[in-house]
Amino acid sequence: MIKIRDLEKIYRTEEVETVALNKISIDVKEGEFVAIMGPSGCGKSTLLNILGLLDDPDNGSFLFNNIEVAHFNERKRAELRKHNIGFVFQSFNLIDELTVFENVELPLIYTGVKSGERKKRVEEVLDKMQIMHRRNHYPQQLSGGQQQRVAVARAVVNNPKLILADEPTGNLDSSNGNEVMSLLTDLNEQGTTIIMVTHSEHDARYSHRIIRMLDGQTVLENIMV
Amino acid sequence: MFSNYLKTAWRSIVRNKAFSFINITGLSVGIAASLLLFIVVQYEMSYDTFQPNYDRIYRVVTQDKFDKDITTNSGIPVPALKALRVELPNIQFGALRSIYGSQITVPSANNGAGNKFIEESGIFYLEPQLFEVFTYHWLAGGPSALKDPNHVVLDERTAGKYFGSWQQAIGKTITLDNFIPLKVSGILQNVPANSNLPLRVLVSFATLQQYGEAYGHYDSWNNTSSNFNIFALLPPGMKAADMNRALLQFSKTHYEPLRGNSIKTNFLQPLAEMHFDRRFESFADHVTSRSTLVTLLLIGVFIILMACVNFINLSTALAVNRSKEMGIRKVLGSNRMQLFKQVMSETTGIVCIAVIVALCIAYLVLPYIKHIASIEEPLSLFTPTTMGMVGGIGAVVILLAGLYPSFVMSKFNPITALKNRMVSASVHGVSLRRGLVVMQFTISQILVIATAVAVSQMNFISKADLGFQKESVLIMNVSADSASLSKEDAFKRQLLQIPGVQSVSFSTDEPSSENMWTTNFAYDHQPDEKYQLALKYADADYLKTFGLQLVAGRPIQPSDTLREGIINETLVRKLGVKNPHEVIGKTIKLGNGKWYPIVGVVKDFKTHSLRDDIKPLFISTQKDFYTRLAIKLRTSQMMATRAAIEKSWNQFYPDYAFAPSFFEEQIARFYRQEEQLSLLYKIFAGLAIFISCLGLYGLVSFMVVQKTKEVGIRKVLGASITSLLQLFSKEFTVLIIVAFFIAVPVAWYMMHNWLNNFVYRVPLNAWFFITAITGSILIAWITVGYKAIKAAVANPVKALRSE
Ligand SMILES: Nc1ncnc2c1ncn2[C@@H]1O[C@H](COP(=O)(O)OP(=O)(O)O)[C@@H](O)[C@H]1O
Ligand SMILES: [Mg+2]
Repeated sequence: MIKIRDLEKIYRTEEVETVALNKISIDVKEGEFVAIMGPSGCGKSTLLNILGLLDDPDNGSFLFNNIEVAHFNERKRAELRKHNIGFVFQSFNLIDELTVFENVELPLIYTGVKSGERKKRVEEVLDKMQIMHRRNHYPQQLSGGQQQRVAVARAVVNNPKLILADEPTGNLDSSNGNEVMSLLTDLNEQGTTIIMVTHSEHDARYSHRIIRMLDGQTVLENIMV
Repeated sequence: MFSNYLKTAWRSIVRNKAFSFINITGLSVGIAASLLLFIVVQYEMSYDTFQPNYDRIYRVVTQDKFDKDITTNSGIPVPALKALRVELPNIQFGALRSIYGSQITVPSANNGAGNKFIEESGIFYLEPQLFEVFTYHWLAGGPSALKDPNHVVLDERTAGKYFGSWQQAIGKTITLDNFIPLKVSGILQNVPANSNLPLRVLVSFATLQQYGEAYGHYDSWNNTSSNFNIFALLPPGMKAADMNRALLQFSKTHYEPLRGNSIKTNFLQPLAEMHFDRRFESFADHVTSRSTLVTLLLIGVFIILMACVNFINLSTALAVNRSKEMGIRKVLGSNRMQLFKQVMSETTGIVCIAVIVALCIAYLVLPYIKHIASIEEPLSLFTPTTMGMVGGIGAVVILLAGLYPSFVMSKFNPITALKNRMVSASVHGVSLRRGLVVMQFTISQILVIATAVAVSQMNFISKADLGFQKESVLIMNVSADSASLSKEDAFKRQLLQIPGVQSVSFSTDEPSSENMWTTNFAYDHQPDEKYQLALKYADADYLKTFGLQLVAGRPIQPSDTLREGIINETLVRKLGVKNPHEVIGKTIKLGNGKWYPIVGVVKDFKTHSLRDDIKPLFISTQKDFYTRLAIKLRTSQMMATRAAIEKSWNQFYPDYAFAPSFFEEQIARFYRQEEQLSLLYKIFAGLAIFISCLGLYGLVSFMVVQKTKEVGIRKVLGASITSLLQLFSKEFTVLIIVAFFIAVPVAWYMMHNWLNNFVYRVPLNAWFFITAITGSILIAWITVGYKAIKAAVANPVKALRSE
């Protein structure tokens, strides 16, 4: 599903050049659950952003379902993204002005799903995430765990083939964290490919494979049994 | 999708209450103010446009080219009418003569003497042919009603005023100036107020054949009166230039043989120019210069721009807080266009609310519009034209205010947007925001300077030494018919018996007037001088009544005819004489008349408004020219004195209405348009300051939120409150000073030109500019201060914990 080769990303500011990704190469097959680990600043988020088509690399090749997307323009990336990829963030990133229901509904609006169908699908997924009773609440009225469940609901409502999660449990206590991890595992078992950045060895154990990064490169891959 | 836009739009308006409030207030005030200005400009531009032949109607006017200067006259010699019809037969001509101060007497059942009326807007002697040039609607009768002498046509309103209703007016007889009987033979529908020809009382032109002399209607090529006008309707396709060529030939034929000290030419003034060309008179109550209209238009545009600037500044500043929302939407698959549309629809929402509020404001303010513009008729807000303007303004504001913020917000990079709440410096448009603040303060400082200059010039005018006493002088028209003339001396004697009356004088006009009576002349048996001499005729008490002073010689002896005269210092100077005493005993010849001795030199006084130079002047006696009466009152018990004067008047002139006014008020009327403009500057300078401060307040509130943490850390590290205040005010102070240096040349140029309208004016000195800059900085500091102090004195621990 994902095949990147010699991917480079360099941030240039007035004073310094930071090589965030240094000729990194990774493959992820359909249905896999991959965890990415590494010290802070090693380029995990940068990699995830590129995989999620939020950002483009400076060099190298990125095949997404055998299509070269490394030099797609913004419009094409947005198109591909909204149909294929869901995101979960450490800080939830829910829109404060919208209710739970409306937040989850957004991806469906952007992919042009009709209103009746939207309602059905949002309710379905809220049910699955056990957050249905909070559908008319605003994000600030929810606990962290509940907010992250909404974020996961929003990420999956479009049935994406790939879910990218950047430290999804980073802001949660362990019980809420475990809950989110089991949600992700369930999704993976139903066929969704998952790539997750994490600092927690415990969470990483839920995955099939751990990619360890250092200074923009992969240093080690552990296959879990 | 759209309902989703609306929903977020509404919630974001509600969520950012303070900012929405500032935006809506600024926009609605700005929109209302400029809407009112546009209504005024549109009204002034609409004069006579209801005429179907608007583009083909011209007035045949006259100019005299002297050695140095050119004078213009909206009139033409009377015989030119016949000559034009003979020589240019394919053109339709129509003529009229306007008269002012005349009295209409309407018979009345319960008032033996009849009801007396004086029509402020004038009475017209009118040819029926004029209705082939202009188109009006008749309620009764038609142009042929004005074919024969002693007929009159009234408009509906005037007929109602005279007789109760126009139906009752038809066939009745009214009397003009107590000696011309006129039969009401037609009724005209009221002419719209935005017309240069306020036709109310129309007397058949043929009536002048018998009574012309009494109204200065002489069938002579030597006499051009601005009251006698000829209008022309050019056939379709004919160019004004062609006709002007024909008129040049016409002028050669008729004026060259009697050539005086000028070259006289007739040419066309388009009807479309009649309301704007200050060289000529119109019959409407005012002429507006195009530059005034441009000024109004610019102020309107400026005010809207300033309101839009607030909007742009606040939305781009606020964009920092909304970057997260925009980022999430992008991550979820929204493309730029959708975000762009979303922000635009929010702008549209705010602008729509602002437009509704603006309409309410405009509705409440509209009745007061006559204070800033000469619009007497009540205007309606809900006409198609005004609604069109409202729509136009709304659309322009949406685009101006919405495009840039939408562009900025939709451009956000989602990663940066989500990573952190952005620091304000990293958001696009900081320099743009500074530029816009500079623009706002440039505009408001220009308006402040303009206001300061205009107000002090108007002050200067009202306090200026005119060279005569204008206070407590009552003035009124008197008739110059023989019956009235014979009673003048006795009336004057009786007036002087009234204890409150100090002095009485009959004359052609007051010391400062709009009188343009001039003649060619010669001095001391030399050939004619190369310039015109202004004339005033007045009795021997004129100097005393107006407090005029002699610098040489003696006053004129009482006399009923022209025997000797006095001249002013300006004339002495223009004659090249150093010592005024030298002209005493020398003689002067007016036109082709006799030589008369000069007996005195009067100290210069302002012969016209302060817009004009003092003209070389000759004052002498000539009783049958007197049409004005001036009565100098003692300052105590003026009401009683006035009543006593009215009683005497009614005793001597029972047939004439007593309609006095104060000389001071008449002089003030010279400057009505300047007064209006000065008031307008005041109001709009105030609005401009209000709008820019509103914007400033918004920006500072935003800065305070952004800098809460910074302020906290600085305080912990020991910063003083003053240094924290500087943190907020320094940038704005610099911006205001930059704006000042842009405003100065613009304001200087603008007000320099305006002051040039006046020969007598205040110097354009540095104080006006110093006032503007100190005023702006002070106001800005006060605006910024409130929020800044609150932020500076807040508990730093709280500020730091909130992160
Ligand atoms: N927008 C940016 N501009 C400059 N440097 C950046 C930017 N984003 C990330 N970096 C730098 O790139 C490197 C990798 O960052 P990131 O991918 O966020 O690391 P991680 O998520 O592994 O902690 C870091 O050194 C970071 O400072
Ligand atoms: Mg990271």
